[in-house]
Amino acid sequence: MLDQALSFIVARGRPISIAAWCLCALLAGCGQPNRANQPLPPLDVMAFQPLFQENCAGCHGTTGQMGPAPPLNDALFLRVVTDQELNEVIKNGRPGTLMPGFGFNPGLTLSAKQVDVLVKGIRAEWPSSPREFSGTLPPYATDAKGDATRGAQAFALACARCHGAKGEGTDTAGAINDGAFLKLVSDQFLRRIVITGRPDLGMPDYRQQITEPEARALTDQEITDIVALLASWRTSDSFAQEPAPGATKP
Amino acid sequence: MKRGWVLQTLNWFEHRLGMRDQVLEALNHPVPKNTGWWYVFGSASVTLLTIQLLTGVLLTMVYVPTPDLAYQTIEYISYEQFLGWYVRAVHSWSGNAMMVMVLLHMTQVYLWGAYKYPRELTWVVGCFLFVFLLGFLFSGQVLRFDSSSYWGIGVGAAMAGRVPLIGPALVHLLLGGETIGGETLSRFYALHVFVLPALLLGFLGIHLLLVMRQGVSAPPFPAKRTDKETYDKVYERELAEGEPFAPDPLAKDVIFSALIVLVVFVLAAVYGVGLNELPADPTIINANPRPDWPFLPLFALLSLCPPWMETFVILVLPVAGFAFLVSIPFVSGTGERSPWRRPVGTIGVVVGVVLMIVLGWLGAVAPWSPAMEAWSGTPIPERMVESLSPTQLVGAVVFQNKNCRNCHALDGQGGTRGPDLTTVATRLTKEELVRQVVQGGGNMPAYGKQLSSANVEALVAFLATLHPEGIAPAKPSVEPITGPLAGGDNAKDDKTEVARDQ
Ligand code: HEC
Ligand code: HEC
Ligand code: HEC
Repeated sequence: MLDQALSFIVARGRPISIAAWCLCALLAGCGQPNRANQPLPPLDVMAFQPLFQENCAGCHGTTGQMGPAPPLNDALFLRVVTDQELNEVIKNGRPGTLMPGFGFNPGLTLSAKQVDVLVKGIRAEWPSSPREFSGTLPPYATDAKGDATRGAQAFALACARCHGAKGEGTDTAGAINDGAFLKLVSDQFLRRIVITGRPDLGMPDYRQQITEPEARALTDQEITDIVALLASWRTSDSFAQEPAPGATKP
Repeated sequence: MKRGWVLQTLNWFEHRLGMRDQVLEALNHPVPKNTGWWYVFGSASVTLLTIQLLTGVLLTMVYVPTPDLAYQTIEYISYEQFLGWYVRAVHSWSGNAMMVMVLLHMTQVYLWGAYKYPRELTWVVGCFLFVFLLGFLFSGQVLRFDSSSYWGIGVGAAMAGRVPLIGPALVHLLLGGETIGGETLSRFYALHVFVLPALLLGFLGIHLLLVMRQGVSAPPFPAKRTDKETYDKVYERELAEGEPFAPDPLAKDVIFSALIVLVVFVLAAVYGVGLNELPADPTIINANPRPDWPFLPLFALLSLCPPWMETFVILVLPVAGFAFLVSIPFVSGTGERSPWRRPVGTIGVVVGVVLMIVLGWLGAVAPWSPAMEAWSGTPIPERMVESLSPTQLVGAVVFQNKNCRNCHALDGQGGTRGPDLTTVATRLTKEELVRQVVQGGGNMPAYGKQLSSANVEALVAFLATLHPEGIAPAKPSVEPITGPLAGGDNAKDDKTEVARDQ
């Protein structure tokens, strides 16, 4: 039986053809590993998309929108914010909020170069045309002090129809007069949301919040006052007594 | 003319060595009849071993066992050196194939009862060979010095560290210091290319001598019992009826070995072996080290077991397993050989194999280690974000920021260490959610200290939205349930609530 098997194999020339295939595969280098498939050490990643998807998409959304954190892919936001400000937030995070700093925290470090790549990438990926927003825009950040009483008037005019007279929420939009919410976000965030709205979630920007009959844009002063009003809700709440939550990772 | 010259040379050697008789005897020694194709795994293992030695020597010519050069030299071998990648691929595939062959060989020997009298010592020496082989695969993985090699080093150190009394000294010896450093790699290198080969070849020599001396056992037949008094006579008769080793049984060995070698060569040529991991770097904490396949069952066990069992799994289990293997021929050294007449042993093998496969599979697919990047890299599904209120939105950010996502998936995306939370609100009420988050439980850490109450409130506001449209969230039961379910635990109560709501 064995002899038969042997002569069968030999007669058919199988070993030769298999060896030939083997040689071909070898010469073709089929199995030779390709450097391109080798993963990059995290600090060597220098392309915007992988950096953004790995580090930011979890909170800001895959396309920079529709995440639970404020959208970065927002034309108005990108008009008012400066590179310097973007750089600063990404590097240091926003202390007291849930935006972690990426520039210093061991373990989730991005190098200064990578932060630059992100800032440039955000600009390049989601260009914001200057024509769309002409005239003077309210500044992204301000040192001016707002007045909560005047803020209440502006709120009634601009926000109440969706968020309720006292910010308690309506069918259109949820509550913003909520201790836990206000405790976890910064004034800068509130200011920015009043300016840009959340177009991805159906909240209009500062030009469209006031409807007929007045139908005008909020002024810079009004924006500052509304933020002061929201901040005053925060300090009257029980959560205000607690220490700020860590902005960094545990 | 030419022939005469060859013959002359051979004779010259023969005159000085005097080995012809031994060789002829080895070739002509009788073996029992009907051995079939079952006896080929041992010789295939030896064939693969020679390949390992040859390719291993080639690799050592280039490989440099220092932390800064180890990975680089492997890159050089893989990308630049002519056919270097192929040598490395053959070394890797053939090493793995050897493991497979040895496992088959051991299973066959066990099932055939071939370890019984008078071949107990052959089995015991074989057990040592198996351990050395594991040592090879283990240290080989470390030599790659990529992020997965930390698994090997870590487990090795943990194992050594738990040895009573001399533990710390052993760790020191293994790591070449108190911590993983430059010395560590050279220790494993010395193990892989000097210590283990010497041990393996030495023991293999004894193993083969024993095989020659005791002969291979005849295939088992039910009811043909092995008895110390009579066996030697019976075996003599079997040999008398048998056939010489050459040509037929020898040819089977050669054909099978050639086939395996061919398979290894083709696999290595077609699939090669890549560099799929980052270089080892203690500052990259995101590494998710996972061992090579022979250690996946152990890996899965280690991940599954509660912390208090770790010493048992890591130290007692391997030692006990080895002791068990060694003890087999002393516990059942005589009696029935046929697997059909040894139901306990045979079922044991089947159960063991299934267990190993299941554990190995678990270790391979289940990401027991959390998905370290999910918190910042895996978005909250847009369909969820769409309908959230401001507080729930910020709660979703807490969910990401506090790493919950690394263990919990939403819509199947994210870690799988804990349950998918896409519909958690149908299972748990707000109070239960708070309790789970603050106190933890099961394999989940307690988050009480890391979360402010604003965090908890926002988080739970978000979690409470996680139920499919049309299915009501879990509600605390208002009235005590009476009837057959009374006295059941809370979880049960909730389920009945949900069911009633639907
Ligand atoms: C854990 C969630 C999380 C991750 C991950 C995250 N962010 Fe943020 N980010 C936030 C939150 C929350 C805010 C708003 C903070 C506040 O209240 O001011 C924010 C704010 C920002 C802002 C300021 C926006 C504004 O409206 O003022 C920028 C710019 C930003 N993030 C960029 C990034 C980039 C770039 C990355 C990736 C490297 C990233 N973030 C990763 C949660 C996150
Ligand atoms: C046309 C309705 C509408 C108006 C007017 C409006 N909002 Fe909103 N707002 C929304 C919607 C929709 C959301 C998304 C969350 C939700 O659905 O509850 C939202 C969200 C928010 C958020 C949370 C954003 C986030 O990313 O977490 C804040 C803060 C907010 N609004 C403040 C205001 C303030 C202050 C005003 C007045 C200046 C205002 N809104 C006017 C509809 C509106
Ligand atoms: C280290 C991994 C890990 C992390 C991080 C983690 N969990 Fe868990 N979680 C688990 C495991 C494991 C279970 C299952 C516990 C059990 O068996 O009782 C679980 C269970 C739960 C449950 C109950 C699910 C159910 O269906 O019964 C909730 C809710 C939950 N976790 C929420 C969270 C939240 C919120 C966070 C972040 C603050 C978080 N988990 C972080 C591992 C984790």
